Amino acid sequence: MKDLKHVWFIALKDLKIFTRDRASVFFFVVFPFLFIILFNFLLSGVGSEDERLEMHVLTREPAGGLSYQIIGTIETRDESQLGPGQPKIVWDRDYDAARQAVDDGDLAGFLAFPVDFTAALTSGKPTELEIFADAANVNVRAALNGLAGAISSQIGADRIIINASIALLVESGALAPDTESVNRAVQQMMTDIITAGASGAPETYITFRTEKVGDVEAVNPANFVIPGYLVMFVFFAAAVGSESIVRERKNNTLERLLATSVSRESILGGIFTGSIIKGLAQIIIFWGVGILAYNVDLGLSPSAVIILSFLMVIMSAAFSVMLATIARTQRAAASLAVITSLTLAPLGGCWWPSFLYPDWLQNIAKVTPHAWATTGFNKLMLFGADFSAAVPEMLALIVFTIIFGGIAIWRFRTSAT
Amino acid sequence: MVEEFVVVSDLQKSFNEHKAVDGVSFSVHKGEIFGLLGPNGAGKTTTIRMLSTVLVADGGEITIGGHSMQRESAAIRSIIGVCPQELALYDDLSALDNMVFFGRMAGMTGLEAKEQAMANLKLMGLVDRAKGKVAKFSGGMKRRINLAIALMGNPQLVFLDEPTVGIDPQSRNHIYENILGLQKKGMTILYTTHYMEEADRLCNRVAIMDGGKIIAMDTPHQLKSQIGPPEKVTLEEVFLRLTGRSLRD
Ligand SMILES: Nc1ncnc2c1ncn2[C@@H]1O[C@H](COP(=O)(O)OP(=O)(O)O)[C@@H](O)[C@H]1O
Ligand SMILES: [Mg+2]
Repeated sequence: MKDLKHVWFIALKDLKIFTRDRASVFFFVVFPFLFIILFNFLLSGVGSEDERLEMHVLTREPAGGLSYQIIGTIETRDESQLGPGQPKIVWDRDYDAARQAVDDGDLAGFLAFPVDFTAALTSGKPTELEIFADAANVNVRAALNGLAGAISSQIGADRIIINASIALLVESGALAPDTESVNRAVQQMMTDIITAGASGAPETYITFRTEKVGDVEAVNPANFVIPGYLVMFVFFAAAVGSESIVRERKNNTLERLLATSVSRESILGGIFTGSIIKGLAQIIIFWGVGILAYNVDLGLSPSAVIILSFLMVIMSAAFSVMLATIARTQRAAASLAVITSLTLAPLGGCWWPSFLYPDWLQNIAKVTPHAWATTGFNKLMLFGADFSAAVPEMLALIVFTIIFGGIAIWRFRTSAT
Repeated sequence: MVEEFVVVSDLQKSFNEHKAVDGVSFSVHKGEIFGLLGPNGAGKTTTIRMLSTVLVADGGEITIGGHSMQRESAAIRSIIGVCPQELALYDDLSALDNMVFFGRMAGMTGLEAKEQAMANLKLMGLVDRAKGKVAKFSGGMKRRINLAIALMGNPQLVFLDEPTVGIDPQSRNHIYENILGLQKKGMTILYTTHYMEEADRLCNRVAIMDGGKIIAMDTPHQLKSQIGPPEKVTLEEVFLRLTGRSLRD
């Protein structure tokens, strides 16, 4: 009880000193947001607009075929009218050029109507829509398949109605039963159906949905940027805070504390608690601003995001105390803080998504707590994972905390004066 | 019958082979001002740090207020106050915040700590600067705050390690008066200095240290009598006679 009081008073004293120091408050609170504003801006080009799925469609039929009408109704004319997540449909004109583009990797894939599309359709012969796509691009391939499926099932349904109508017309004598008359009638009806709503809502002719395939979808860049900078700056600020712990040793106040009734454990606990409270304030600000100003989505399990943030704060505080017990001077503490923070952050995927790194680099990155933390946040906030998926990352941060804290306690016992 | 409040016997401390304190023994009576006198490097601060539980001795025994250093250092910490040779203050906090913080660390309640902090500030003539940031204080003012913090929590024994180093004569006189006032209230004081006239003026008894050893110990009057008429000689001359060196070397 007495010890807890001491811990609390030491933490309060540290916070009081902290808030008197404008430079460190700036560093803790304002500085991270300058980065967030900048990087969110830089990445926003990549995030939403450009990552809209583009589907290329073309026809090999001579002009006047039914496929022209179909493509005409589904083609995207005004991109600004598309809802979020809706794909853009582009009408390409040259089949050979499109194939070449796919081979060269300039185009992910396209859907082509065959040369005999109208003829086959009107005569009731089977025909196939051709999908030509880069095998590696699952997203585009799945989307093109979805589109082709939607077109053929719509046409199939139309065919049934048309066949029934033709049969009625022939039976009532309104239509001559010869092949040429029937074919002409079928094509006329087909055209009428396709262009029926052309003035109103052309997109109703074919409706289709694209399945979400694979890992990354177009996302709010803040869902990556905010956790990345949270990890970087919570760690950075805590590490820099070790300088003030060394100052405590250098300005002899630590020695003064050691001569009072306060136990060494309470002194260490107080310093640790002060650092944790500063970190908590940071994550509250990060998530507060992230949610209110950047529409950050915490994913399926906000509680996992909170726990991960909390563990990040505790781990960083342990690192800070450890650094303070290792560094001999304030200057050494400050330089070590800057060096470790600025190497671990990019390696740990705070600046760029680490899942884009080559495997060997991802393996090296696992020695950084940052990599575990960012991986956890990415899983939860980008890939739609649930709580249990982030448990390994939480455990990893606990292990780092134990290692850093253990070294800090050992060093504090043996080295403080 | 004098009560021995501090008993030190055969205290030892080395830093990398160098014997900073080499077999020091002395005792301090309850209620007296005991001076540890000696040139820089004599081992005064190292002795004080061991007595104040901060540094672990290599050998020897320390008993303070009946408590053994080895077994009851916590009990010792609860009855001592320390004014370290180097300023030990939080520069970014106010004088009052510094004192209240250390008062609470000494086990006082918030209210007690505040009351005593104001009383001590008054003693040091710094009441009007209570809310001022320590960083803005002059050297003499910082020294006074450094001393005032040592008194928080009403310790029975205070260690004052060269409390008057580097301050103006006026502040120095102010501090002397305060120290004599503390003695009147019954505090026991262990005082270190390398100013001989200061020890002469304040201390009931002094131990002269050199090279980690105590080379003489008695009242200033007795020490001076050994080399001449006490009113004519100084402790400075006593030291010169004992070591063949001047103190200020
Ligand atoms: N922490 C330390 N590490 C190494 N040597 C030290 C340390 N503290 C004191 N010393 C050495 O011990 C000797 C006594 O120092 P000190 O007790 O500070 O003397 P005084 O207070 O009488 O000036 C000096 O030679 C000093 O250099
Ligand atoms: Mg000294």
